[in-house]
Amino acid sequence: MKTAAELKHGEKARISDINSDNPSYKRLIEIGFTPGQEIELVNTSVFNDPMAFSIRGTLIAIRRNEADCIILS
Amino acid sequence: MTFDVAKRIPLITLVGPPNSGKTTLFNYLSGKNFKTVNYPGSTVEYYTCKMQDKFNIEANLLDSPGIISLNPNSPDEEVTVNSLYNHPEYGTPDLIIVTADASQLSRHLLLTKQLLTAGFKVILVLTMKDLLEKKGLTVNIEKLSRILRCDVVFVNGRTGSGLNDLIIKAEKNIKELSHEKSFIPYFIPEQLSKENLLSLYSEIENLTRAVIEPIEPPDIEKINKKIKVLNPVLQEPTLQPDLFTLKLDRFLLHKKYGLIFFFLIMTTMFTSIFWIAAPFMNLVDDLFSLLASSSSELLGNTWYSHLLSEGLISGIGSVLVFLPQIIILFLILGLLEDTGYLARGAMMIDKPLSKIGLNGKSFVPMLSGFACAIPAMLAARTISNRRERLLTIFIIPLMSCSARLPVYALLVAFLTPSDKPWLGGVLLASIYLFGIGSSVIVASIINKFSHKLIKANDNSSFILELPAYRVPKLKIVLKNSYVNALHYIKRAGPIILFLSLIIWFLTYMPNHTPQIDTTGLSHDEIIHAEKSERLATSYAAHLGKFIQPVMTPLGMDWRIGVSLIAAFAAREVFVSSLALIFRVTDDENIQSSLLTAMQNATNQHTGEPLFTTATVIGLIVFFIFALQCISTIAVSRKETGSWRIPVLQLIIFTSTAYLFTLIVVNGLRLVGVN
Repeated sequence: MKTAAELKHGEKARISDINSDNPSYKRLIEIGFTPGQEIELVNTSVFNDPMAFSIRGTLIAIRRNEADCIILS
Repeated sequence: MTFDVAKRIPLITLVGPPNSGKTTLFNYLSGKNFKTVNYPGSTVEYYTCKMQDKFNIEANLLDSPGIISLNPNSPDEEVTVNSLYNHPEYGTPDLIIVTADASQLSRHLLLTKQLLTAGFKVILVLTMKDLLEKKGLTVNIEKLSRILRCDVVFVNGRTGSGLNDLIIKAEKNIKELSHEKSFIPYFIPEQLSKENLLSLYSEIENLTRAVIEPIEPPDIEKINKKIKVLNPVLQEPTLQPDLFTLKLDRFLLHKKYGLIFFFLIMTTMFTSIFWIAAPFMNLVDDLFSLLASSSSELLGNTWYSHLLSEGLISGIGSVLVFLPQIIILFLILGLLEDTGYLARGAMMIDKPLSKIGLNGKSFVPMLSGFACAIPAMLAARTISNRRERLLTIFIIPLMSCSARLPVYALLVAFLTPSDKPWLGGVLLASIYLFGIGSSVIVASIINKFSHKLIKANDNSSFILELPAYRVPKLKIVLKNSYVNALHYIKRAGPIILFLSLIIWFLTYMPNHTPQIDTTGLSHDEIIHAEKSERLATSYAAHLGKFIQPVMTPLGMDWRIGVSLIAAFAAREVFVSSLALIFRVTDDENIQSSLLTAMQNATNQHTGEPLFTTATVIGLIVFFIFALQCISTIAVSRKETGSWRIPVLQLIIFTSTAYLFTLIVVNGLRLVGVN
């Protein structure tokens, strides 16, 4: 099962589910990470964490462990 | 709660997700005399005002911090959401104007849908229509309005077009109000399960697909071709972020260059605070010295002349002198925020900060801490994790706030030889770096013991939208800097004025007309002798005897001690208090004559020079650590909800300050630096 944390620079993928084990999962959904959406890893910070994703026409930075609960199809 | 709307002024609240153009809209709607208010019981700041007269609507307008959902995720959002349901002072809003970025429609409609579900009366304002039009698309607002069953208008944030439309709709909505009873909004946060959220989102996605349409091309023959081209775009109408932003981020968020740019931007910011401000500071300084000398000439050698020139004018002048620096700091912070860079800074620094128990979102509060600890502590409210928030608040006093600038400016000027002016800049920069370094050390130490010191632990998270880069709206940034600076003067001004008077009184009374032997003395010498006699027999001197045992190990005497105590009200008072104690009222500028006075001063206890390289460096170290600001303690108490943290801050920082000063002064003397 691949998650958004494993994406490479410029790689696109579609979200299949959000893992509700992560306490931040509701906020991730609210900000636009919903199943069916396409995301692209655009930037990672100097220490590879946080990671910036392009989603729904904007850029959102989240931590690697948060990206790890975004399950890709 | 019920009330008759007709009998009171209706309340319109502005709500919107961050980066949706809410602040711009507020600036258009508000008149000039808006004020900040606190949400009772907390320090979340709101802007409130009457609608601009030209709109001809009698209504109160309330701006609130940005939220993305009615399900709060940080203390900041919690207060905003609670205030929407029932603001203790204003009640429930009669009308909510919610802003949404038209190019981010699916994400931004979430809040609108929630507000409508909760039963609020809502007008939806779509902004950034031009961004959508660049992609050849537009929103069918009639259709959107029908589906949502609320009024929808376009407002252009750059030109203000569409405002009239909004006003007409607002008027209509308010008129309808007077016939209706007040309502109790349906509280929804509890029922927002994952399934709810997902179904709400798919509902919104269907809705956006229905309302986002291609801009109709005028040439009918080309329509068929266009539709073929536009169809794939229509499936996912707004999926591409701003191209310019993506390109710029390739450099500004680059793994190596990103950090270089980051340090470059921060360095430019701090150096410009000093370079740009310098001529303005000289201007203010000259103005006040002129005022002081002309008033003492006018009134002669009398007590009220002394009160005016030494007590009031010098006291106020020595503090107002650094107002240019504060304004420039606020200005640069505002510009950086408005361009969209601050969010990137927060992202880049999240990892290192999380190592010491902080969060990338601590970056903006820490940066604001260089202006003033008070807005900085308020800014920490965006950190959702309580422990990280408390730790951020804890170390903010170590950021070198602008109130310390006049103190450092004076002490650094004392240490800088006149033939090496560049040394001053280097010294100031090292003071700042030393402050930052110490805050990192303090944070990591406290993080180790944090479970004892800061009793809170919850999920650490960093989710932040990186807004598209844009040219900052200078007008709004200027207005905000002006408001902040004014705010600052209003808060610090009375304290400084009051303390200047107290210190003048303590150093002038009770022996206001000392009897001295005037034989063979010139007029100037008489005045000088009177001054020293008056001071040596003053209340301040008596008070100083109590402090002397504490000051002696530091190589300082009671005069510095009194100034340090006065500085507990506000740090910058240290300078005005020194100016008072050393009776500086020369016609030349206050700072240089104060410097001369400092160079000539001798320790009344030992007879040695009072201000030496060692003691001045010691003083700088003291100011880096000591928590000397009553307002900071008060805000820390309010923001953390108990006395625990402010008391710990006061004890830890002030004792560290004393200890380090002791070590530095005596250490320097040991190695021969005097």
